[in-house]
Amino acid sequence: MLELTGALLALAAGAGFAGALSGLGGGAFLVPALVVLVGLPMQAAIGASLLAVVATSAGASVAFVRDGWTNLRVAIVLECATVTGAIAGAWLAGMVSPALLEALFALVMLQSAYFSMRKRDSDVLPASDRLCERLELGGEFPGDSGEPVRYGVSNLPGGSAIMVLAGVMSGLLGIGSGALKVIAMDQVMGLPLKVSSATSNFMIGVTAGAGALVFLSRGDVVPMVAAPVALGVTAGAIAGSKLLPYADVRWLRAGFVVILVLVAAEMGWRAFGGV
Amino acid sequence: MPVDPEEERILRLWTPVLLRVILVAAVVLMALGTGLTLFVARDHVDPATFRHPVSVRVPLLTVLSEGIRGNANAIATLGLMVLTLVPLVRVALCFLLFLKERSGIFAAFTAYVLAGLIAGILLGRIG
Repeated sequence: MLELTGALLALAAGAGFAGALSGLGGGAFLVPALVVLVGLPMQAAIGASLLAVVATSAGASVAFVRDGWTNLRVAIVLECATVTGAIAGAWLAGMVSPALLEALFALVMLQSAYFSMRKRDSDVLPASDRLCERLELGGEFPGDSGEPVRYGVSNLPGGSAIMVLAGVMSGLLGIGSGALKVIAMDQVMGLPLKVSSATSNFMIGVTAGAGALVFLSRGDVVPMVAAPVALGVTAGAIAGSKLLPYADVRWLRAGFVVILVLVAAEMGWRAFGGV
Repeated sequence: MPVDPEEERILRLWTPVLLRVILVAAVVLMALGTGLTLFVARDHVDPATFRHPVSVRVPLLTVLSEGIRGNANAIATLGLMVLTLVPLVRVALCFLLFLKERSGIFAAFTAYVLAGLIAGILLGRIG
């Protein structure tokens, strides 16, 4: 018992640390660690991971909101899509086979690896389209010179469609789906990258919370698994965020891409009968 | 759009304070539950449930009363429940903010998100 709890705490701390350094959040590393290394069933790992994502996102987003990077209006509009998707995903997670969940997880890991490698620019849309203008979704962020920089927002329906998918993946796989959320805002809706990241950070906890509430009220969370996991991930994420300013991001990113591809291969192998 | 003073006050003061209080309460309960299981009440948890968990729906009042009696598993469950208050409170504060701004459409969006979170609890109960 002591060994198992110790292993859960250590693995969760490692996942939280890696999640904070890579910017992908703890769930991407936590679920495969719990399934492959501890031998937990996929559903139990997902329930524990969703609660861990809620715990880690609680602290991080406060700073971004305070510093003026989060677009609260965009977050709330898009949360309508992610929460709907997350509830559907968490509900489905209780029904679909573990093999399908593992196959999906492998695909999402590959998408995250691709997202981590991609070169990103940060264009600012000068004006919003008609719908976003009407909803006053445009905003401003603190520029380098201290002067606020205004930006517009476009293609709300396209962004919302991807957000439904991000929500389904979050509830189904126990991850924050941050990579998909940033793609929706940055690439599809034209928000500046840092605003997209901060807004995604704000949204992740609410999306994961929707899925976690389904798992918790269904009784699919084992408290003696989920509690040490949430504690470990939170501690790891705090340590990771403290170390991040001193880390060489280029090498870190390359290392995490390799890990994500290996995780995808392992989960894909398990899904197609390897284990 | 520029952040107005009311939004500033709610975001800067209330959100961080409330979220931190909830998070600390959740962490204390989870740590207490885990610690009690490991060092005091090992018989409260069957180690087999780690690898072969079964769905157990326990009414909130039972969890509360068991937690007050010092049941380690119930205390950890209470910690997890308190943790799920973080997103609920965050969205509720946004709802309050949009109501104060008299922004009807955003208050409606926020109410939808809140309703979605509550629907998640009900869906879990029946599904």
